Amino acid sequence: MPSLAKVVLPTGILMAALAVLPMFSSGYHVSFTIQVFMWIALAGSWNIISGLTGYVSFGHVAFFGVGAYTSALLITKAGWHWLPAGLAGCGPAALLALLIGYPCLRLKGPYFAIAMLGLNEVVRALVSYFEGLTGGGSGISLPPINATVPVYYAMGATALAVVVTTYLIINSRFGLRLISIREDEIAAETMGIDTARMKLYAFLISAAFPGIVGGFYAWYASHIEPMGVFPLITTITMIIMCLFGGAGTVLGPVIGATLLSIMQELVWARFLFVHQAIFGALIIGVVLLMPRGILGVARQYFRLPRTV
Amino acid sequence: MPDTAILEIRNATKRFGGVTALNGCSLSVAAGKISGLIGPNGSGKTTLFNCITGLERLHGGQILFKGRRIDGLKPHRIARRGISRTFQVTRVFPQLTAFENLLAVTGTAFDAAHERADELLAFVKLDRLRDEFAGNLSYGQQKLLEFIRVLMTDPELILLDEPAAGVNRTLLNELLDVLTRLRDQGKTILIVEHDMKVVMGLCETIFVLDYGEKIAEGPPSLIQGNERVIEAYFGR
Repeated sequence: MPSLAKVVLPTGILMAALAVLPMFSSGYHVSFTIQVFMWIALAGSWNIISGLTGYVSFGHVAFFGVGAYTSALLITKAGWHWLPAGLAGCGPAALLALLIGYPCLRLKGPYFAIAMLGLNEVVRALVSYFEGLTGGGSGISLPPINATVPVYYAMGATALAVVVTTYLIINSRFGLRLISIREDEIAAETMGIDTARMKLYAFLISAAFPGIVGGFYAWYASHIEPMGVFPLITTITMIIMCLFGGAGTVLGPVIGATLLSIMQELVWARFLFVHQAIFGALIIGVVLLMPRGILGVARQYFRLPRTV
Repeated sequence: MPDTAILEIRNATKRFGGVTALNGCSLSVAAGKISGLIGPNGSGKTTLFNCITGLERLHGGQILFKGRRIDGLKPHRIARRGISRTFQVTRVFPQLTAFENLLAVTGTAFDAAHERADELLAFVKLDRLRDEFAGNLSYGQQKLLEFIRVLMTDPELILLDEPAAGVNRTLLNELLDVLTRLRDQGKTILIVEHDMKVVMGLCETIFVLDYGEKIAEGPPSLIQGNERVIEAYFGR
């Protein structure tokens, strides 16, 4: 067991610091940290299906977008408070995951990735098409928000929930089964593991959280439109953050999301026009030099428990 | 009949494109015995294993386990009925530790599973490597791990695809000992093996496949002299 002083204390201090941050800092720091929370939650969610089972989802932003539209509609049309509306984003996201996961999780390797890519395009097209409900291409405008601090806590809690969920999964037999699917699905199935069901459960969990994140995002952004909440680049960013930190680990997505968010912010501020090129070069570097991520490299030098 | 059949293959047929891997193959495996399945390369042994465990679907025929049909069931359902297997080329979970490889496959209570896993690791002398990633084990060690992973699910019928290949003599003798003990506990074991010494010394009944058909069946002494068998192996 990890010692109390080594793990609990620094974690506690970090959490306390994050909890009081809005009281001492500027709006910029709060909004930047909201971004980091958002990416931790998204990269962490992607990790649950793709990092653990090895089924690479290239359409994960679809769940984010569906959550965003759900909450935007509940707020504008049904007059809900933003908090329950945001949380409600997980419902349709999980439902969508159920509908698409049931047939598509049978597809192996790149075929699943491609099917998920298609899903995102389909959902985006549908959202644009049903103009009466969704406002079509021009999207939905929400009431302007006057306080970002509540969103800060909501997003922070979501990120924390993703990390805790991942920790619990990885420490359970369910988690071992998910990893065994990634390692050798045929062997897992032959040994009596109901791989189809395990994958579906993981997929539902993995889709529900981006739904919530999208739900809060809609309120935070005050305006959503199809191109804004279904961009492929968001999925790709989740993937890179997760791989950068270490896929299939608890803290990998946290480390990846935090470092890359900071890096992106620094690069973006200094090299406005080439920042995407620099970011792209970084991605290539990560994939080439440390395909197992930061924690993967750390694991070669230190004996880390899987539960990190 | 004194022996009750635990596994019955009836007229199993399986084609891959133009190749007929199983051609109306029928055999019945007696409960509580060690049986061997031999035949030249490509005679359909592994295909038969794959069909029994549900990885491949039959084009014709039936497979019955304890009197109930299992062909067409998903592999995990078949496994839960009590059939477990190893693979010709080991299929451990490389990035799980030896211990976790065992834990992942059981449905029993956590404490009982931990205890059983440790017991089995000690049993094949892998307890020293309990927390090592399975991918870091040697080939022979991986074979042992795969073998005890089978035992972890406590199956009634154990299918072993070339258990002796790549395992050194000392280890092999221990493994054969274990198989005999498992048989004495009431387990049924079906082995695909090329090492004739192993097959002849261990098995009570041997089935010989050639071109997807059973061409002979009987105790080792009879199989060794069987003309059709000699012909299948060495040609006319």
